[in-house]
Amino acid sequence: MTGPSDTLVLRDLTKIFRIKTGSFRHADLRAVDDVSVSITPGRTLAVVGESGSGKTTLARLILRLIDPTGGSIRLEGTDITRMKGAALEDMRGRMQIVFQDPYDSLSPWQTVGRTVAEPLILHENMSMQDATEPVARMLERVGLSPEHARRYPHELSGGQAQRVGIARAMITNPALVVLDEPTSSLDMSVQSQILLLLQSLQEERNISYLFISHDLTVVRYIAHDLAVMYLGKVVESGPAAEVFASPRHPYTEALLKAAPRPDPHYKTDHVHLLGEQPSALDRAPGCPLYGRCPIAEDVCADTPQELVEIEAGHRVACWKRT
Amino acid sequence: MSALLELHGLEVEIEGLPILRGVDLEVRPGEILGVVGETGAGKSMTARSILDLLPAKASLSFDTCTFAGEDFIPARARQLARGHRIGFVPQRPRGSLNPVFRVGKQIVDTLRRLRGMARREAKEEALNLLRSVRITDPERVYRSYPHELSGGMCQRVCIAIALAGEPELIIADEPTTGLDVTIQAEILKLLGEVIAEHNAAGMLITHDLGVVADVCDRVAVMYAGRVINLGTTLEIYREALHPYANQLVSIASSLDSGGTPREIPGRVPNPGDELAACAFAPRCFRAEDDCFGEEPPLIHIEGQMAFCHHPLTSEAASV
Ligand SMILES: Nc1ncnc2c1ncn2[C@@H]1O[C@H](COP(=O)(O)OP(=O)(O)OP(=O)(O)O)[C@@H](O)[C@H]1O
Ligand code: SF4
Ligand SMILES: [Mg+2]
Repeated sequence: MTGPSDTLVLRDLTKIFRIKTGSFRHADLRAVDDVSVSITPGRTLAVVGESGSGKTTLARLILRLIDPTGGSIRLEGTDITRMKGAALEDMRGRMQIVFQDPYDSLSPWQTVGRTVAEPLILHENMSMQDATEPVARMLERVGLSPEHARRYPHELSGGQAQRVGIARAMITNPALVVLDEPTSSLDMSVQSQILLLLQSLQEERNISYLFISHDLTVVRYIAHDLAVMYLGKVVESGPAAEVFASPRHPYTEALLKAAPRPDPHYKTDHVHLLGEQPSALDRAPGCPLYGRCPIAEDVCADTPQELVEIEAGHRVACWKRT
Repeated sequence: MSALLELHGLEVEIEGLPILRGVDLEVRPGEILGVVGETGAGKSMTARSILDLLPAKASLSFDTCTFAGEDFIPARARQLARGHRIGFVPQRPRGSLNPVFRVGKQIVDTLRRLRGMARREAKEEALNLLRSVRITDPERVYRSYPHELSGGMCQRVCIAIALAGEPELIIADEPTTGLDVTIQAEILKLLGEVIAEHNAAGMLITHDLGVVADVCDRVAVMYAGRVINLGTTLEIYREALHPYANQLVSIASSLDSGGTPREIPGRVPNPGDELAACAFAPRCFRAEDDCFGEEPPLIHIEGQMAFCHHPLTSEAASV
C-alpha cells in the first residue's frame, strides 16, 4: 500500500495535548490519534471532517510546526519526525502550506515580491536580488503580472491574494503542499479559478497535495484520495470516487447526506446523527462516534475498531460496517 | 397575493459611494426568500437597511416601502425594525450574544423590552422559546454563558431571541456560515420549521447556492448593489433569465456534478467604480452595445423578473 516512492508517509501519528481541567488536574486530549496515511507524487489526499476533528493539527504536525507525541512522518523517504535545526530548515523548502484566509497569511507591510521570495531566501540562501527573476516568473505562472511584486496585500482582491499565497508555496518547487481550506473564503467564480490553477500546477510539477476542507463539492472535484476524520481518528479512507459513491462509515454517510447541493430537487437529510459532537476530552473509549451513531451497539462503546480494508484501498473503522 | 414586505428603489450611500443602487424586492407571506450574490453585492446592506442597522454615516432613500400593507420607513421605524415585527438572526451567533450575561437573562431582557412582560412571566416564556428551538435541556442552557455553548447551540439561542417579539418576518444573514455541515443542516431545518410554526416569512441571506436550493421558495440574485434577477427557486435553477444569475447557478451545478470548475471572467466591481449601463456588461457573454449605453429594462417572464437587454429565454438559450 505504501512504497518507497511515496511523497508522504504517516505511521500511527499521534498528538496528545495536556489540558488543564482544574487547579491540580489535567486531561489528555487526543487531537490526532494513530493516523496512518500516505500520498504518492502528483496526487491529492483530501482530509475532511468537522471542526475539532484534528485536521489543522494534522497539517501542523506534518509541517513540523508542532512535535508529535508518537508515530512517524516520512517525507520523500526521509524520516523527519524528530528532525531539528538546519536539517529541518532545508527540508522546509520541500513542504509548503497555503492558508485559508489569504489576507491573514500575508504580512501587510511586506510587498508581494518580498513575500514570494521569502522561502528562497530562508531555505535556499538566495539573495533578494537573485530571487527577483524567479519571483517574476512565478507570479506570471499563477496568473498575476510581475508588476504585482511591488504591491501590498491591501491592494489585492481576495483571489489575487490567494494567488500570492500559492506563488509563495510553489516557489521552492516543493514535493508536498498542504492546502488548508484554500478556497473557502473565496467567491464561487474566483474559487473555480483557484482550483484550476492548483490542478494545473500539480500536473506540471507532479506535486502531492494534502487538501484540508469541509466543502465536499470542492473535494469531490479535486481529490484523488479521501480520509474522513472524526475526533482525531481517521474513520474511513480510500479512493475519493469510491468513498463518495459508497460511504460505509455512519459518520461519512451523515456528512455526505447533510451537505446541501445546488439542486432544488435534491433532498438534504437534515438530521442523521444524534445529539451534538462531544469534546474530544469526553470521548467514549471505543468508537469516537459512539453516542451520536444511529446504528451503534454495545461493542462500539468500549472496544475501538481498527481500520479494516473492505475493498481495494477502501478502509473503514466500524464494527457494524466491516 | 399581496406582499408582506415590498421595497422599491432602495438606495444607500456611504461617504459618497453608492452601495445599493436601487434594490427592488418583495417577500410574500409564508415564504422564505433567498438573497444570494458574491462578496460586496450588497446583501447585508439590504438587510441592514430594513433592520435599521446601517452605519451612522450611511444615507438612505427609496421610492416605496411597505410592510404588511402599511408604509414603512426603513431606518426610521425603530419599533418595527428592532426585533418586534422583524426578527434578526446574525451570522456570528457567539459574537452577537453578550459574553458577560447568562443566556436566560438575555432572552428575558428581550422579552421585557419587546413584549413588556413581567420578570416571572418572561422566564417562563424564555424557557418555552428555548424548547421551541428544540433545545432538550432548556434549564441548563438558560443558566449558561455563551462561551459554555457550542456554535450550533448559540445559533439556536439567537433564533430563540429572534422569535421573542413574535415577528412576522425573520431575516437571517449567513446564519450557518462557519458552522459544520451536519450542524448547518440542523439549523436550516429548524429555521424553516419555526418560520412555518410562527406563520412568519423569512429572508435568508447566503452565498451558498446549495443552502438556497435546500430551503428557499424564491430567490433574489444581487449584483453590484441591485437585485438583477428574482424568481422561484425552481425557475432560477432551471433557467435563470439574467446571464449573471444563469452562470452562477451553472458554475455551482457543474462543479457539484463532477464537472470542471468554470469561471466568469473579470471581477465584481467595487462601490465607486465607473459602471456601464448594465453593471455586468463588461463580464457578460451576451452583452451588446445597448448594454453599455442604455439602462437594461425590467422584464417579466414566467414568474421571473430580471433587468437585462438580452435575457436567456428558452428560445434565446437554444440559439
Ligand atoms: N461600514 C461600512 N462602511 C463603508 N462601506 C461599507 C461598510 N460596510 C459595507 N460596506 C461596503 O458596502 C458594499 C456592500 O456590502 P455588503 O456587506 O452589503 O455586501 P454582502 O453582499 O453582504 O457581501 P458578503 O458576501 O461579503 O457578506 C461593499 O462594497 C462593502 O465594502
Ligand atoms: S443587459 Fe446586456 S450586459 Fe447586462 S446582463 Fe443583460 S445581456 Fe448582459
Ligand atoms: Mg454580508
